[in-house]
Amino acid sequence: MSDNTITRRGFLGLVGAAGATAVLAGCGGSSDSGKTEIEVVTYKQEAVKTFERLQDLFNETHDDIHVTITCPNDATTVLRTRFIREDYPDIVGIGGDVTFSNFVDAGILADVSDFDGISQVKQSYLDTLDKLEFVPTEGIYGVPHSANAAGVLYNRAMFREHGWDIPTTWSEFTALCETVKAAGILPLYLGFKDTWTTLAPWNALAIELAPSDVCQQVNAGTTTFAEHYREVAEKEYALLQYAEDGPFAYGYNDACTAFANGESAMYTIGSYAVPQIRSVNPDMDIDSFVMPAVENADDRILNSGVDLQFCVTAACPHKEAAYEVIRFLIEHDSMQAYVSDQNAVPCVEGDFELPDVLDGMREFIDEGRTADFQDHYYPSEMAVDAQIQTFLIDGDVDKFLAKFDSDWTRYNRDIIAKVQDYYATQG
Amino acid sequence: MGNNRQRTYYLMLIPILVLFFCFNTLPLLRGFFYSFTNFRGFGGYDMVGLRNYIDLFQDARVGNSYLFTFKLALVSTLAVNVISLAMALALNSKIKFKSALRGMYFIPNILGSLVVGYIFNYFFTYIVPFLTNTTSILADAKWAWVAIVVVCAWQSIAMNTIIYISGLQTVPEDVYEAGSLDGATGWNQFRYLTFPLIMPFFTINMVLCMKNFMMVFDQIMALTSGGPAQSTESISFLIYSNGMAGGQFGFQSANAVVFFILIVTISVLQTRFLNSREEQL
Repeated sequence: MSDNTITRRGFLGLVGAAGATAVLAGCGGSSDSGKTEIEVVTYKQEAVKTFERLQDLFNETHDDIHVTITCPNDATTVLRTRFIREDYPDIVGIGGDVTFSNFVDAGILADVSDFDGISQVKQSYLDTLDKLEFVPTEGIYGVPHSANAAGVLYNRAMFREHGWDIPTTWSEFTALCETVKAAGILPLYLGFKDTWTTLAPWNALAIELAPSDVCQQVNAGTTTFAEHYREVAEKEYALLQYAEDGPFAYGYNDACTAFANGESAMYTIGSYAVPQIRSVNPDMDIDSFVMPAVENADDRILNSGVDLQFCVTAACPHKEAAYEVIRFLIEHDSMQAYVSDQNAVPCVEGDFELPDVLDGMREFIDEGRTADFQDHYYPSEMAVDAQIQTFLIDGDVDKFLAKFDSDWTRYNRDIIAKVQDYYATQG
Repeated sequence: MGNNRQRTYYLMLIPILVLFFCFNTLPLLRGFFYSFTNFRGFGGYDMVGLRNYIDLFQDARVGNSYLFTFKLALVSTLAVNVISLAMALALNSKIKFKSALRGMYFIPNILGSLVVGYIFNYFFTYIVPFLTNTTSILADAKWAWVAIVVVCAWQSIAMNTIIYISGLQTVPEDVYEAGSLDGATGWNQFRYLTFPLIMPFFTINMVLCMKNFMMVFDQIMALTSGGPAQSTESISFLIYSNGMAGGQFGFQSANAVVFFILIVTISVLQTRFLNSREEQL
């Protein structure tokens, strides 16, 4: 296998030797003022204001390092495009999803296990990242910063007014939806025109109904999705009867607006939607609960994954300076500022004030009863979100599951080969 | 003397040739190379031979994107040319406020596609369903493509009309006078005099339209993002979303190569066929 592997570095090295090296010497150099220049690119576009403040604060308090934090729109595409040109920022702030798996696999990220701040990070989130590697890789490739939590957001004032209780099982949930409907209020307003929102209820249902490592099991060839995803699909389909007519006509913004205006009682989305909702109705009293997909309340698990982590690129020439920046970003005050602005869950130990929208999920967070989003393992080019949307439109669960399995093997061919090769050689 | 002039021409041409080679030919060749690899856009990769091309012809999603794009391009090209020719005839006749009207009808062309897309998005999602008491056409997997045709056509009719107007102005008045003596008026005048004489403009419009609509991207991005149920994924959209945002750089490079060959073939055939029917005065 490795004999005919051509690395881009080698290929470009030839081109570079022709004399372009001087021009290409780009990122991570020292600026004229003698300070070490550190560039951070994060994909948290919605947190741009927070990061601007943190960036200024860092630069005011550090004489030897100057940091630039940018949060471009569609950052993962921006990053990929820059990587094609071999132009690497020093630190990338990405989610704990398949993009991270690919970056680790491609050898773009540096091992940060020698970073002292790692000891502050909660072990469960380090484990989450570990599981995302296609094949077990020695080392730690990201510093988990914050997590998100997804389930069901609800209008707390409306629930109080009608005396509705928080459901803890699937039958309680459907019964509640019927009650809400009978009160003349829409239980849910879904924005399924934006395909990615179909994944929010999907993930919340899947972690309780399917094994957490179902994707790895399929890659290892021991099971199929048809076996584990049928109930997930059927329960998500069941949500449609409690939503507005034609949920495929409305997008995420429409759904947030409708929920904010009190048109619906609940919204099956993550805590990340709260800033968008409050931009319409700033005083809205929002709380959340864990999606109850099962009949035994004790089997509920909170859907929470690494939403933002900081990874140092292998090409970064000033690893110590990069660590200093990350140390600053995960220290108590910076973290509290971020957590309050973004309704996020901190990944580091410490006494933080959690946003009130997470009240209903608090015990799950404290007890660590969480599991990662299953879509963090789905390859983006397979467009699982669009497949779920297709299924929700035509309602054919057998066709959907068959396509899911056949597409999975097709889009993950190289990864499956790698995984099976790994287990064959390991034993 | 002659030598000097030649040198000037070369000085003008060579920099452009170099730029064209660097920013067009070279990327094309590299894309061609990547189409034989399983490159993800970063990191290492393996040569996979013709695997991407074999997959391409077995991939239902790619197949659907070709069908959708052809359907869209054919219908839009026909609609745009019929409507803009009619508009050009009207705007070239002796009517009042001709210049003002010409200016107004040109406005869609100067608006950005994304802006137009978002406006129409609102129009189809809220205004049309409100007026007709139906559900949004953009949420209907069967008919969403019609909405895209409407937006594409609305936007490109402006430019095509201008080209037709300039075509109509090349037809000398005495041809019509001579024709009217032979009894060619109304439809006959258009059928036997005007249309054959503006045939070159018809050719250019057909080729440009077809090529533009085959490469439709912005309107899809703004209106449907390929949905609902993946029914409006155009070829360019798929190449971008899976090649850049997804990890299929190699596979989508193969798709791009096939797409490139297809567009060249269609444009050449179209030009040949239509050129053979042009009349000279």
